[in-house]
Amino acid sequence: MDTGEAIASQAQELRRGTVVLACLALLTTPQYGYALLETLDAAGVAVDGNTLYPLLRRLEKQGLLTSEWNTDESRPRKFYRISAQGAAVRDGLIGEWHDLVDTIDRLTKEA
Amino acid sequence: MDTLTERYVQEVIRRIPAASREDVGRELRATIADTLEARDEPDRAGAERAVLTEMGDPIRLAARYADRPLALIGPDVYPMYVRVLTMLLATVLPVVVVVSMVADLVEHNDLGSAIGSGIGSVITVGAQLFAWSTLAFFLLSRYQRRDERARTTAWTPDALRSVRRADRSTAGPIASAAWHAVLAGLLVWQQLAVPYRAANGDRLPVLDPALWSGPAWPILLGLLGLVALDLHRAFGRVRDARSVVGYLVAEAAFTLPLAWVVRDRSIFDPRFLAEVNGHWTAPAAWYSGAAVIILAIGVLEVVKRVRESRQAGQDC
Repeated sequence: MDTGEAIASQAQELRRGTVVLACLALLTTPQYGYALLETLDAAGVAVDGNTLYPLLRRLEKQGLLTSEWNTDESRPRKFYRISAQGAAVRDGLIGEWHDLVDTIDRLTKEA
Repeated sequence: MDTLTERYVQEVIRRIPAASREDVGRELRATIADTLEARDEPDRAGAERAVLTEMGDPIRLAARYADRPLALIGPDVYPMYVRVLTMLLATVLPVVVVVSMVADLVEHNDLGSAIGSGIGSVITVGAQLFAWSTLAFFLLSRYQRRDERARTTAWTPDALRSVRRADRSTAGPIASAAWHAVLAGLLVWQQLAVPYRAANGDRLPVLDPALWSGPAWPILLGLLGLVALDLHRAFGRVRDARSVVGYLVAEAAFTLPLAWVVRDRSIFDPRFLAEVNGHWTAPAAWYSGAAVIILAIGVLEVVKRVRESRQAGQDC
């Protein structure tokens, strides 16, 4: 494995946990699955549909998201939005995130 | 509607809990349609195929929706599963087999029947132990909540100690001594007690009496040598190069003639064999196979002893 490949695979590990945080951050405005995937993609958060769609349902089951079917348009779509509990979790995770960044900064400066 | 998308959706949702099937199905159809629309390709069939390919194996996707591990026994409980199964097969199985053989022997006073009952219980009890513990761990791995799983299977260094202790204990050598003593005892007993009763009322030994003019003696002496070495290993704690040579000699004395008479098909008393088998004779390949297994076990035993004496040497 050359360095480029090694970075790519380690970076994937690093990003894995951030998808949840990104979803919670974006779903202040209701979105349906594919549109959210596009938004994430445009923002540079690489995630596959077959990971994202089950993830949204899981977050809903955990009470962090709520969902609603919108049947106004020709194609009915399920819109997800963050719940009150989800907002609290998101704020906690953002705090965690900043702590992590600070810690890594400190460690890499010392090194 | 039998489109490719519909078939894919059906493949996914029939693998997830019934309560969420309809909802997941609707959502998947809408999402696939959205993705297709966004691509805006003239070749619709080709685009549909590409989108579904990107969604991936429906079994995997269903597993993600159902939030369950793909393997029968999930990775969290797998180590515990292997440990419990090994423990059961190493302790419960031999006990049950010995008990069933003794019970059969008391009832029928017939070694052939007792051996049959022993083999039968190895197979049935072994399969039962395997099947039930697999089922138990399968259910555990499916229905236990994630955080509980982490708690019950969290590895602690304590787990290491019991393995080390078992390695140093006397249980292994004593079990090995007992096994070789039982084999030696059976060898002599079947000749003296002529336990098998033939249809015409004659009592027959199981093994060919002709063996006693040759191969039976090194086999018996080898077994007794192994018993002595095992007891020495258990209580004297000497695991040096000399004891390895002893094992090599004893194992060779026991294994080589045994493998030879098995391969040569001269192990059983022909009258006993005719009674048990009727006119059916086992293919020669069975005997050769059994001889190879006997040799392999002998070699493995010696390799184990060599390794043990090396470790003991390093510890000193």
